[in-house]
Amino acid sequence: MLVAAAVVPAAPLLVPEVAGGSAPVDEVLRSRAREVVAALLTARPERVVVVGTAPATGPVTGTWDWSGLGVPRAPGRSAGPALPLSLGIGDWLLDDAGWTGTRAHHGLARDASPQGCAELGRSLAAGAVRVALLVCGGGSACRTEKAPGHLDPRAEEFDRRAAQALSDADLTGLRALEPDLAEALLADGRGPWQVLAGAAQGVSWQAELCHDEAPYGVAYLVAHWRAQATGRAPAA
Amino acid sequence: MVLRFRDKVLPDDQTLVMAIVNRTPDSFFDRGRTFGLGAALDRVDQVVEEGAHVVDIGGVKAAPGQEVTAEQELERVLELVELVRERHPDVVISVDTYRSEVADVVCRAGVDLVNDAWGGTDARTAEVAAAHGAGLVCTHAGGLAPRSRPHRVQYDDVVGHVVDTIVGLAERAVEVGVPRESVLIDPGHDFGKNSRHSLEVTRRLGDLVATGWPVLCALSRKDFIGEVLDLPPDDRLEGTLAATAVSAVLGARMFRAHDVAATVRVLRMVDALAGRRELAVGRRGLA
Repeated sequence: MLVAAAVVPAAPLLVPEVAGGSAPVDEVLRSRAREVVAALLTARPERVVVVGTAPATGPVTGTWDWSGLGVPRAPGRSAGPALPLSLGIGDWLLDDAGWTGTRAHHGLARDASPQGCAELGRSLAAGAVRVALLVCGGGSACRTEKAPGHLDPRAEEFDRRAAQALSDADLTGLRALEPDLAEALLADGRGPWQVLAGAAQGVSWQAELCHDEAPYGVAYLVAHWRAQATGRAPAA
Repeated sequence: MVLRFRDKVLPDDQTLVMAIVNRTPDSFFDRGRTFGLGAALDRVDQVVEEGAHVVDIGGVKAAPGQEVTAEQELERVLELVELVRERHPDVVISVDTYRSEVADVVCRAGVDLVNDAWGGTDARTAEVAAAHGAGLVCTHAGGLAPRSRPHRVQYDDVVGHVVDTIVGLAERAVEVGVPRESVLIDPGHDFGKNSRHSLEVTRRLGDLVATGWPVLCALSRKDFIGEVLDLPPDDRLEGTLAATAVSAVLGARMFRAHDVAATVRVLRMVDALAGRRELAVGRRGLA
């Protein structure tokens, strides 16, 4: 059963050693991400599952590793398999938060269907084990002319819909985000959020959107969901 | 190896300069300064006077932005090419384009070198250069579509990827008939790369030089310099010249530059330090 979820962008600049000297705007994002991960762990999960986009859908093993981004691996750090970037960000945040319990990583192909994502979410949350989801993915990267994907007039509305759905724990709203549009806008959160929507079904949620900014034309949404103690809501 | 572009042989005892001439209203550094035909011609006259060996004419800015069709691109570059060909019959003219149809037209007008800065996204460009006996710049852009920005790009080994890609493009160019002495390889600083990737490519430029293909570096005022120094394009001259000097020591053959006079002076100094260049004047202690 899903007891809590944290939503963070899979932005490499969250990691101080990748960002180098970072701007105050990055510090705020990093603090919010750390806060929601800390909050996730206060829900006493028995297992934390990190989900994020990856070359293929399926469970992945490995650890965070920034050498592909040009940051040398720290001396003494084992040279095990590197996780895909989005899962690595989640893995790093769990290390950063001091989580030593069970963790797993599940990758999602960028073109995973909303239905497939929902089914995956249901299967990750199935059973009696207290599961927490760390959902790594963000909104569009097309909010300004200097954005990685340049300005796309559809980006702001897409991000607004995503932010609203995350803020309201609106599972239908998350499921309605269009894969093709998300892909065109470089929004890597679409699939992972839809996994969350699948995993969160049948439970009442207390949701909070903690951060909604796009300082580099890339929409960073940070949210925290916690299952209401009042018991299970009727299945949607 | 001697570099030859059509009938023009470039000196093999000095590091060479390719001057940037943008007929664009929106390129990141000059921001339209030479968009007008007259301003562009004046710029060409000036950079030739300052010692540029090649003038690289471009009609489409590298970054995303207003769409420029092939027809519009030709409107911008063709007349300038024709006028430069007439005024400077001996200078090597290059055109910065990712479109084979544009390359075809400008080569008919006397262009000697096609600067395919987006790395062979139009596979016909090499054939077009070959058909006209023109040269080709083979660039690594990380497989990105033209005019797109890198977003969280990763490489297992960025230098290995660069070398494999551009050597492959260079070999293919020769296979389809581009003269071997008219091919340059360009690691494509910042194209499909974050700043650490561009620094790594610069640091290990010797790996590119070791392939035997002459290396062109296009690093002038780019973001990787800006991110080292935390400075905007207007304040990146010193960083550019430092990267230029280091790359020249590591064996780069040509530099694509905004600041031609400064780059020429830096390279003359590096060439002298490397023992490739004599004193322009020797009087100290000799009178």
